[in-house]
Amino acid sequence: MLETASDFTWKTAADVVAAIAAGRASAQSVIESALARIRARDGLLNSFTAVIEQRALAKAQAFDEALKGAAAVPPLAGVPFAAKNLFDITGLPTVAGSKINRDAPPARHDAKLIERLEAAGAILVGALNMGEYAYDFTGENVHDGPAHNPHDLKRMTGGSSSGSAAAVAGGLVPFALGSDTNGSIRVPASLCGIFGLKPTYGRLSRAGTFPFSASFDHVGPLARSTRDLALTYDAMRGYDPADPVCADRAAEPVTPLLERGTEGLRIAVAGGYFKCRTAESVYAVDRVAAALGANRDVDIPEAERARSAAHIITASEAGSLHLPRLRTRAKDFDPAVRDRLFAGAMLPGSLAIKAQKFRRWYRREVLKLFAEVDAIVAPATPCPAPLIGQQTFMLGEAEFPVRANLGLYTQPISFIGLPVVAVPVPLSPLPIGVQIIAAPWREDIALRIAYALETEGVTAAMRPKDF
Amino acid sequence: MPRKLATRKKRTGRKQAAPARRVPPKKPDPFEALAAASEAALGLPVEAAWRAGVRSNLRLLFQHAARIDAFELLDEAEPAPVFRA
Repeated sequence: MLETASDFTWKTAADVVAAIAAGRASAQSVIESALARIRARDGLLNSFTAVIEQRALAKAQAFDEALKGAAAVPPLAGVPFAAKNLFDITGLPTVAGSKINRDAPPARHDAKLIERLEAAGAILVGALNMGEYAYDFTGENVHDGPAHNPHDLKRMTGGSSSGSAAAVAGGLVPFALGSDTNGSIRVPASLCGIFGLKPTYGRLSRAGTFPFSASFDHVGPLARSTRDLALTYDAMRGYDPADPVCADRAAEPVTPLLERGTEGLRIAVAGGYFKCRTAESVYAVDRVAAALGANRDVDIPEAERARSAAHIITASEAGSLHLPRLRTRAKDFDPAVRDRLFAGAMLPGSLAIKAQKFRRWYRREVLKLFAEVDAIVAPATPCPAPLIGQQTFMLGEAEFPVRANLGLYTQPISFIGLPVVAVPVPLSPLPIGVQIIAAPWREDIALRIAYALETEGVTAAMRPKDF
Repeated sequence: MPRKLATRKKRTGRKQAAPARRVPPKKPDPFEALAAASEAALGLPVEAAWRAGVRSNLRLLFQHAARIDAFELLDEAEPAPVFRA
């Protein structure tokens, strides 16, 4: 019997593949159902900036035809997904959250990761809202409006992969693509209560994406289950010479390893700089640590300085990237982004080079920790989702600006490209995330831990009321 | 020969004002100077209304940079511009 459209709202990618494999659904019915949900509910979330209905339906029909008589079902058969609008989509300008790029010519090809996902059977349904040029932790955007958090529409999604998190957490698509330079997958995953994977720097191809700060830019999936992160990650892996930092490594699929459990893994909690100061983040980290039997702390050395260096390099690289647009179209930027880009462009190179030297030192010191531990648990955000428009939040006794500080705990990690899975701890009324950090190229370890936590019910993507 | 005019103090009936205190000259804001010089050198069209925001961001970046500057590294320390984890 064919499943009905409403059955797919909260289905994972793995559920969709199983339904198609068992003949309970066709790709066309799954895609029609996703498009209907987007039409009905995205008015509340503002997560999509473009829906490519005709292309998605045509791909679904072609997929169903090709599947007739096929020996095997591809790993992401008929799974709808969407991509942050800094990914190239054939026929659309790659706006990257900006007004300026709307004047760019339409992309002539899909981004490499979209190509790979579609080759594995997934079907792209649209492009997603994001903070302008990815220089954002809030999910607010003056051109397209803010994306809204499905758990409370008055609250931020986090950014800059705001639409990616809102669309997944709101049940519009099972998974979405995002990018993470300083925390832009992990922060919105935390605030919207879903799973996010920021792989090792150089692991997934960034070809066909609009850059932000090249030496930190990562791309990865957001989803409602660890298994979906693994399935999509496995479909996207692989060397791509079109991205100069993409590593040429042997295939290391992670999905078959998920059920290996955590036995034998040495897991510690990040102390010092990462010690939480809000009740929610303390609860979330303690709950995860207790479930994993992680009863020792490790000190990630010079983490605060690492965050400062990340700020410097980001500002400098982004200022340099946008110099031509600052000269010719300064008035068309989001004012909050423009002022930071101007300042970054004015920053002396000597300071950026020193930050890059510190980065190498810091990497060496942090990697020493992985001789003693296999994974480190740390908070993903200092607090659950703030209100849209909120300017500051309290951490202990001190007041901090929201915009600059939601990435307090994510920046020192992406600074050296470590793989991280952000896992959601279901709290009421708002969820919050925890980072599971592993050594370079050990996404498998972070995903195994995330899977074990999810299986035990410690972490879960909770379905928001009314979605 | 012109007559020398006698000068007389005007009587105002008001108390004489205390001599003005010397106001120390305003310390130049290095970020204002850097921003202005960069605007000109890089050809950046920063409008007057945006300058306070740009300066404040520049000041913040320099606070972060001071943390890095204070960290001693060997002359031989290699930067990581093309970074591989």
